[in-house]
Amino acid sequence: MRTRNTNYLCILLIILLFVITDVKAETRYQIVAHPSVDEDSISKNYLRAIFSMRLRAWSNDLIIKVFVLPDDNPLHHSFSKEQLGLFPYQLRQSWDRLVFSGTGQAPTTVSSNEEMRLKIMNTPGAIGYLETAYIDDEINVLQIK
Amino acid sequence: MYSRLNNRRIVVSCAPLEVVFILFALTLIVHSQFVSAQDKPNETSSESNTSSSSMWSTAKDLLDNLQIQGFASQAFMATSDNDVFGNTDEGGGFGFTELGLNALFRPHSRLQLSAQMLSRRAGKDNTGEPRLDFAFLDYRLYSHETNQFGIRFGRLKNPFGFYNDTRDVAFTRPSILLPQSIYFDRTRNLGLSSDSIQFYGETSSAKWGDFTVQFGISRPIVDDRDTEISFLGSRLTGGLSPDISLVGRGLYETPGKRFRFAISGVWLNTDYKPAANEVGSIGPGSIEFSPIYLSAQYNTERWTLTSEYALRKFRYTDYGVAALDNLDFFGESFYFQGEYRFNHKWEALIRYDVLYTDRSDRDGSKFAALNNNDPDRPAHSRFAKDLTVGLRWNITPRIMARLEYHRINGTGWLAPLDNPDASMTSKNWNLFAAQLSFRF
Repeated sequence: MRTRNTNYLCILLIILLFVITDVKAETRYQIVAHPSVDEDSISKNYLRAIFSMRLRAWSNDLIIKVFVLPDDNPLHHSFSKEQLGLFPYQLRQSWDRLVFSGTGQAPTTVSSNEEMRLKIMNTPGAIGYLETAYIDDEINVLQIK
Repeated sequence: MYSRLNNRRIVVSCAPLEVVFILFALTLIVHSQFVSAQDKPNETSSESNTSSSSMWSTAKDLLDNLQIQGFASQAFMATSDNDVFGNTDEGGGFGFTELGLNALFRPHSRLQLSAQMLSRRAGKDNTGEPRLDFAFLDYRLYSHETNQFGIRFGRLKNPFGFYNDTRDVAFTRPSILLPQSIYFDRTRNLGLSSDSIQFYGETSSAKWGDFTVQFGISRPIVDDRDTEISFLGSRLTGGLSPDISLVGRGLYETPGKRFRFAISGVWLNTDYKPAANEVGSIGPGSIEFSPIYLSAQYNTERWTLTSEYALRKFRYTDYGVAALDNLDFFGESFYFQGEYRFNHKWEALIRYDVLYTDRSDRDGSKFAALNNNDPDRPAHSRFAKDLTVGLRWNITPRIMARLEYHRINGTGWLAPLDNPDASMTSKNWNLFAAQLSFRF
């Protein structure tokens, strides 16, 4: 009876461990860009200027195309908070202010990591973020300085 | 008759802008095709021609660089007394509708063309007739990493306060009705947009935060009847015409936009042209209206606390009528507002909003005495104190519903066109509003 209990406990612990590592894996992501983007690394301040849509072109004059996941997506939340220091509602408000005053465009919202990956690979000038599981040699990763 | 006249004037004033736009779009398309044709020989030699075609995009890319979005909002409003956007004090009404269509086009890394059509049905001065809300081109003169400097030309939203630039889009407002002490809906056409040239600059630093400055020289839109009545009263029947005016805003945001501070100012000049039957009794005077706005906001994950203050200077000159020429006073407005996000679906709002038409006569008693207690010019028409509570439900990212309740003391911001007989207005009144909004 006692060994049975320990067994259950072990299984439970292992499952818990899986869940925890899984959650951790989900929040791990990288900044990714189309190969046409002529940079290997960018500063956080530069990244902020890009995602707040104030910057329109890369240093090689290519138009910047920004892709994001939906406002309530956990990865979008982690990215906004950790990389931009902003809550998703603040980003949405600043994009709305640009769009409806005509002074800037909004990023394109994609529904999933798969769609993000496709857009980043096929859109010149594109920038976005991806869970590490979706990143392979074909994807251009931007390091944060 | 006035509204018909107005519309004609608006259409006429739009026409040159539209022509400029069409010409611009055509030049760009022709130019881009020319450039992409030039690029073709290069394609064989190098596998990527992105850097050469990036200056002027190819036709397919042109479509990718076009964003179109729209919004539609319908409100139900009911008041205990007084009318807001239609006859609302007899069971309520559906008189407040906002429809907009917006296009943003970026044909080149330095150039953006923007236009928005707006139909607004709200009371007697806003019949829902579509008008060109803004249409301008924006050229980036300088852009390096986090520093930007550029110029905008065309019909632009006047940049003042936190909300004026996007005041007709329900999703960007904290409530169904913006704080009326600062964002008057009755003189909205004047406050909203103007034909102008604007310079802007932005800079950001990881340590200090972001600075944004906008400065414009403009010709304000003052020829709608509600603005004329608000400035001159309903007894004068001549018209206002715009004179050169200035508008500017400086915005500072700490890192993470935790604090946002803005100072904005308008220096607006308009000239009065007396009607034929008024010649001799009143001169072609002018009005100087120069408000200053101070705005502050504090943001956390759940709370957004906002306050704005406005000091509005009015000066009337050269009318040859003592009652008008003696008018030189300051209006004062402010509000405190708290928004609380329970989660990304539900938000609550509480706000206290105060307007004094003349800060040296806050209860309107001097005004009433000056007019011999004329019931058509009651003291309570010179102030308004509005306590608002509201609830916002983001049903989906595209659909939003709102409820709000106002407890109001004073009629300072009531539209005179909707309430032509001021002696019939009530000092203490309530307003209930519900709104459904959609965006795409």
